[in-house]
Amino acid sequence: MSRDRRIPTGGRSRPSAAPQRDSDSAMMGLLLVTGSVLAGFLLLSAAVGTGGPRWPSFVFLFFGGAAATAYGFRVYPYFRKLERRLPEESERWLKLENRLIGAASHLGAGDLVRASEQTRGLPERLARMAEGASESLSGLAREIQDRSIEVASAADSVNQTASDLAAGSSEQAASVVQITAAMEELARTAAQIADNAARQASLAARAETSGDAGSAAVHEAVAGVEEVQKRIQAISSRADALGTRSKEIYRVLDLITEIAQETHILSLNAAIEAFAAGAEGRRFSVVAEEVRRLAQRAQESVASVRHLLDEFAGSIRATIVATEEGSKEANRVFERSRAAAAAIGDLRRASGDTSRVARQISMATHQQNAASDEVVMTLREVSQVVQRMTGGLKDLSGTADRLNSLGLNIQLLAQSFHLASPRSLKHLVEDWAKQIERAAGAGEMEGVLDSLVQRVAFVEMAYFVDTSGYTVTLCYNRAITGGRQLLGASGAREFDMTQRPWYRAVAREQRTALTPPYESLQNGETCFTVGAPVLNREGSFIGVLAVDINVNGWTRI
Amino acid sequence: MEAFTDAKAWKAGNHLLVRAGGYVCALPLGSVRRVVRALPVHALPGARAELRGLAEFAGEPMPVLDLARLVQAPPGALPAQPVTVVVWAGPPDARSMVGLAADAALEMADVSPGTMVGGGGGLVRGEVGIGGEVVRVLDLEALGREP
Repeated sequence: MSRDRRIPTGGRSRPSAAPQRDSDSAMMGLLLVTGSVLAGFLLLSAAVGTGGPRWPSFVFLFFGGAAATAYGFRVYPYFRKLERRLPEESERWLKLENRLIGAASHLGAGDLVRASEQTRGLPERLARMAEGASESLSGLAREIQDRSIEVASAADSVNQTASDLAAGSSEQAASVVQITAAMEELARTAAQIADNAARQASLAARAETSGDAGSAAVHEAVAGVEEVQKRIQAISSRADALGTRSKEIYRVLDLITEIAQETHILSLNAAIEAFAAGAEGRRFSVVAEEVRRLAQRAQESVASVRHLLDEFAGSIRATIVATEEGSKEANRVFERSRAAAAAIGDLRRASGDTSRVARQISMATHQQNAASDEVVMTLREVSQVVQRMTGGLKDLSGTADRLNSLGLNIQLLAQSFHLASPRSLKHLVEDWAKQIERAAGAGEMEGVLDSLVQRVAFVEMAYFVDTSGYTVTLCYNRAITGGRQLLGASGAREFDMTQRPWYRAVAREQRTALTPPYESLQNGETCFTVGAPVLNREGSFIGVLAVDINVNGWTRI
Repeated sequence: MEAFTDAKAWKAGNHLLVRAGGYVCALPLGSVRRVVRALPVHALPGARAELRGLAEFAGEPMPVLDLARLVQAPPGALPAQPVTVVVWAGPPDARSMVGLAADAALEMADVSPGTMVGGGGGLVRGEVGIGGEVVRVLDLEALGREP
């Protein structure tokens, strides 16, 4: 099956009666030469008859006859030969003319591949010239395609960068506002700190004065505690002396107790002896009983004295313990008073230091407050600059948008050329059209088309529409649609595709065509459609292969 | 305790009251030889628990018995003036001098045989009430008959 399209010939037709007329013209030329020679001879003979010599007539006749003979044998056959070749040459030149017209037509349509194919049958120099021109144009178109893609890609990058910068600038502006607020808060806080530091300095000065008074009072307290300590030590010494005397009294009481016990035993023995003496000892037994009672009373008195002395000794021991405790407590109070005096001294010095540091803090904070005000003013200027920069970046983003759109338009214009390049969408889609033309049926066609679609990242979908407008096959790029099929084959088949602009353009021109960009029904992104005619084995038009190109994916290649 | 009499009424006593542990015992004055401070004793190995040991009295060795153990008295207060009462023990024809270790020697008291209650022919002849206390009247002649 040949992919050669019908070439417009410009209405030129081949003249079939021209060789016969050329042959008649050669004969007429021979007759005119012969007739002219005879007429010249007769005129010369008539002139000689009026009195002139006759030989010039015969000479003229001789050379005229020779010329006619030479014409008849040499010129006439040549012209006859020319007349016989004229139709063939005319046919050949007509073919060349048709090829030139076809090449020019393809060039006019931007199909440099077929224009180049058309120039192959031309004469060598002409073919070289045409091939050179086609290659130059093809190179230029390829360069435009490549550069337009780069422009679109660069514009996209600029747009993205400008958007990022604008977003970052907005965030920066917000951050500057926050920093400004924080600095203002810091300035207010610094003012409060300065006031607090001033108050603290005043309080520290008062504390220093109070520390002086406290130090004097504590020193007096220490002196008083020392005096109390001395008194307690004196009481303790006297209590110790009383304790010593009490022990001596105890020894005396023990001695009295012992004497009383001995007396008691002695009285009992006296009573025993009196009993042994019988009636004579009765009166003695009375004495013995009295002695025993005295001894008993002495023991009872000693017990009372011992009891009182126990209480007295207990009081003395309590006094000693109390004085010892008091002495210890006085020592502790003394040590604490000395520690308190030292602490008050430290506190007084610390209050002095605090007062000085607080004054320094107050001064430093005032300076910080002034610096914060300057920073706030600077930040406000920075905020204005950032806001202006944000506006500029937004303008830049808009410009990049326009540049991107311009790049896309240039790209689409460049894609209107059909080049033998992998970046030429017309070339790609026509190659796909050739592959599905070789398919045996709709099922094989769909399999071939689906495998082609899945290999190209920027193709959203491809579908073949026959001349009745019926969508025979429809294949989605699952990498783009994510496995979804928003517009199903059944839904697509409800449309009469023959009324779509791309179908009408392809069917009318029998040539691959591109649509302007539009919003995709699949994902809402910008896309455009490339349509290529599909022919049967006899070269007849049977439908259009349409391929939807995702612009973002296309500009990223 | 049926018949206790008031010991305060007896001016001339015929018994010596001593404290032994938780009991107050009355010793007949006819058998009492002397009251002395507690004598130092030398314990005899293997002797009965009632025998505290041997003491020297008037240049002679004398056995000293624990009166509280003899009358099986309960433990009393710690003795402040422990004494040894030197008595004649045993029947009149074979009496011997024995020391009785007591916690204290109290006083003289009259004990009438008619006021005594109880008694069973042993060391304790009977009991009388003196000054609100139960006094155990001892029979020192029976002491020699003890095994």
